[in-house]
Amino acid sequence: MADQTRPSVTLALMREMGLTEETLARRKAFLELRDEDSERLRGLHDLAQQYAERVIEDFYAHLLSFEESKKFFTDPVVLARVKAAQKQYFLRLTQGHYDAAYVEDRLRIGVAHERIDLPIELYLSAYNFYLRTVMKHFVEAYGNHPEQVIPLFLSLLKLVFFDMGLATETYLFQRERTIREQQEAIREISTPVLPLRERLLLLPIIGAIDSPRAQQITTQLLHGIRTHRAKVVVMDITGVPTVDSAIANHLLQTVQAARLMGAIVIVSGLSPEVAHALVRLGVDLGTVQTVGTLQDGIEAAEQLLGYAVHKVESATADRPVERS
Amino acid sequence: MRVPILKQGPYLIASIQDALTDEDLAQLQQELVARVGQYRTRGVIIDVAALDVMDSFASRTLRDLAHAIKLRGARTVIVGIQPDVAFSMVRLGLSLVGADTALDLEDGLALLEQHV
Amino acid sequence: MAAETRVPIRQGGDIITARQAGRAVAAQLGFSSADQTLIATAISEMARNILMYARCGEIILRPEQEHRPGITIIAADEGPGIPDIQRALQNGYSTSGSLGLGLPGTKRIMDEFSIVSEVGKGTIVTMKKWKY
Repeated sequence: MADQTRPSVTLALMREMGLTEETLARRKAFLELRDEDSERLRGLHDLAQQYAERVIEDFYAHLLSFEESKKFFTDPVVLARVKAAQKQYFLRLTQGHYDAAYVEDRLRIGVAHERIDLPIELYLSAYNFYLRTVMKHFVEAYGNHPEQVIPLFLSLLKLVFFDMGLATETYLFQRERTIREQQEAIREISTPVLPLRERLLLLPIIGAIDSPRAQQITTQLLHGIRTHRAKVVVMDITGVPTVDSAIANHLLQTVQAARLMGAIVIVSGLSPEVAHALVRLGVDLGTVQTVGTLQDGIEAAEQLLGYAVHKVESATADRPVERS
Repeated sequence: MRVPILKQGPYLIASIQDALTDEDLAQLQQELVARVGQYRTRGVIIDVAALDVMDSFASRTLRDLAHAIKLRGARTVIVGIQPDVAFSMVRLGLSLVGADTALDLEDGLALLEQHV
Repeated sequence: MAAETRVPIRQGGDIITARQAGRAVAAQLGFSSADQTLIATAISEMARNILMYARCGEIILRPEQEHRPGITIIAADEGPGIPDIQRALQNGYSTSGSLGLGLPGTKRIMDEFSIVSEVGKGTIVTMKKWKY
């Protein structure tokens, strides 16, 4: 899999994931991955180079025999590239120096795999295959010194677990980041700030309000007041099923903050259920102007701003009122 | 002097440009109170749009200032509180009791005109 | 990112320096603009306390990135200390006339907040804010 991740990107990723020298040292201590393991694995390198090709071929033959993994490698060019990359990866396991540069390299690979949406179980199954196949080769190669096989295998096991930890963490981190970004985007879309008239904003809220969304609403509302020079904001919560005390207090604080910016917030669409809930929770909406429906809210806002809306009886949809 | 004070008819406008030291604030207070008496000012607008932080000291100082100006028979309107600053103030429990607040200079003047 | 930023608090201008440094670190960590302001305000409160009651001290800013991104702010001084911390943390309490310590408000806006203080020795306020 062609990896287009620049080195500086993975370094930044390492920082974001909190993979400091300390953290990595602690992990190795936890896995008991020590210098002697590194030495042992380096001693394997020549042997590893001998059976690398075969292990890779066997591994991909195995992958291609399954429908769900076959689809990732339909292009022969991609397959060739992937095999080459995997061979490099595999050989790196027996080169020692499992330092920050090693980690950075592993992360880059993890990121590349996550980006093509390769399911993590496929990624981890590679390790499973290596360990089993490699064990067979060890036993063959060390036939005269069977007592060396287990220590060798255990060292490899420690390193593989180190790698797997990094791989899964990368996957999770990237997924979580994507989810957060999407949630942020959804929140922004779901809280539009609509200029209804000069100096009047409408903020219709639909759906449940959790803590991050409440903060989003506050930011949208207050910045909206500044951007549109609003004096009155109608915040409509008709579409909000329930409001707990934390959210209610947050909205209350938002109204107070709006006042510091010279704007009045009218909360409309308070259902009887929500009203009762707020009373029961002891939330004091004392100074906040609340009305039952969105219509009431807009009318109250218009009054505050000095608008009077009159219906012109003779006008119809076919012959609307002429704008002056 | 750090804070420029302009006269606009019966009103004074003080624009706080940057974070002020305690000495600057004390000086501003003195200046404003003196000028309110001098020009028979009816209202003072303090523009805090340039402040990116309003802590308890700043809000207390503005409250005291508004109080002193009131004793001289004039109103105070604080304008330009930024969105993030407004919310921080509320979260921190800070208030500007004794002064009115408006969005900006234009609205501040309109507010003072209303209460003639 | 630097492991730690220390701002000595010795005179009025240092309060501004400390909170600007705090805002910068918070921005680097990716805190929202609203949270940056909260952090800068908290620093301003604590720095001012140092100046008013202890004459000098320092603000230490530490980025946290181990498990989740966040910032640790430490306000330390060798001043007179706070005799009754519990009272100081109550709303409306003030030590000298109308000058309060701004502690209850600051505690509210931070995710973690602790004070260690000994009369005659000094005070250390440790606060943390997480990105999410």
